[in-house]
Amino acid sequence: MSFLNGLFGRKRDSSAELAKQRLLTVLIDDRYKLTPEMMAQMKADLAEVLKRYLPAIDADQIEVTLSRGEAHDLLKADVPLRRATDQSSHR
Amino acid sequence: MGRVITVTSGKGGVGKTTTTANLGTALAMRGARVAVVDADIGLRNLDVVMGLENRIVYDLVDVVEGRARLRQALIKDKRLPELCLLPAAQTRDKDAVNAQQMIDLTNQLRAEFDYVLIDSPAGIEAGFRNAIAGADEVIIVTTPEVSAVRDADRIVGLVEAAEKGPASLVINRIKPRLVSRGEMLSVEDVLELLAISLLGIVPEDETIVIATNRGEAAVYDPSSLAGRAYINIAQRLAGEDVPVMAIPDQQGMLDRLLGLFGRRRT
Repeated sequence: MSFLNGLFGRKRDSSAELAKQRLLTVLIDDRYKLTPEMMAQMKADLAEVLKRYLPAIDADQIEVTLSRGEAHDLLKADVPLRRATDQSSHR
Repeated sequence: MGRVITVTSGKGGVGKTTTTANLGTALAMRGARVAVVDADIGLRNLDVVMGLENRIVYDLVDVVEGRARLRQALIKDKRLPELCLLPAAQTRDKDAVNAQQMIDLTNQLRAEFDYVLIDSPAGIEAGFRNAIAGADEVIIVTTPEVSAVRDADRIVGLVEAAEKGPASLVINRIKPRLVSRGEMLSVEDVLELLAISLLGIVPEDETIVIATNRGEAAVYDPSSLAGRAYINIAQRLAGEDVPVMAIPDQQGMLDRLLGLFGRRRT
C-alpha cells in the first residue's frame, strides 16, 4: 500500500490526506485544551517577558502554533521583531 | 504468572470483541492457557461471538459478589479445553464492579492462565477504568477513520495517565483498495497520528461476519484473511519475532489501471 502511495504519489486533495491533516489539528486541540482566551493571554505574557530583552516586539504580531512531532509535540512561537527603520516609521 | 492484557478502543464498534475472541482463540490454539473476560457489564457480547451463550450459569458479577467461585463461572470453549470465558453480567450495570474488585479478579485469573484477555466496554468512564485496572498491558483497537482515531488518541493518553502504557495498536478493518486510492488513512498515517507501537493490522473481511454468525472464531478458517491476521497478531503478542502481516491488495491490475486513469481525469 505504501508502495503504491510512493509509486503514484498521494494527491494533496485526497480524502485520506484531508483526514490526516484534520486529525493532526484535532488531536493537538484535544490534548492541550488551550482556549482562544488562554492563547491570547499566553501571547501577551510572552510579549511582556520578551520585551525585557527585546523592546521591538508587538504582542499582536506573535503567532503561536501547536504541532505534532515524531517524538514529542511542539509549541512554536513566531515573534516578529520590528526593524530599526520600522520603529522610526511607527513613531 | 500469566499476562493480563486489556483490549480497548474508546469508540464502539471498531472490533474489540472480535479481536478479543480471535486473539484468545489463536493463543489457545498455540497451546497457551487462556481466559477471556467480558468486562462490558450490562452489554454482554463476547459469549455470543464465541458461541458460548447457552452455557452461561454464573457471571463476573456473581464471582465478584461471592455468589459463585471463579471455577464455577468459567465456561470452557467448545473446541479448545485450555480456553475459558468469564462472561459479563447482563442484568447489572457498570457500577456493579469497582476497580479493586477487578484487580483482585485478574490476580486470581493470572495464577491459573498464561493469558488473561479483557474485553473492555467502549467509552472512557468507569467501565473502561475497571477494565484496565488489573491490566499489565493494553491493546488499543482502532479503524482507519477520523472518529475512531480521535477516540483512540484519547485512550492513549488515559492509558498513559493510568500508568498502564505504552499501549500497542491494532488497526482493524483496513480496505487496501481504498488506501491505495488515497481515500482511506494508511497504516503509516494512523501510526504517525497516534505515535504508539503497532501490534498488527486486520483487513476488512466478510468472513468475520460469517464466523460471528456461526459463533466461531475466524482464526479456525484458513481461508479467512482476517483470521490469518489475528494469528499473526497472536504470534507477535506471544513474543515471536515475526513481521506484521502484509495485506494483499485484492484489486486486479486492470482495475488498478482503470482506477488510475479515473483519478487522472478528475
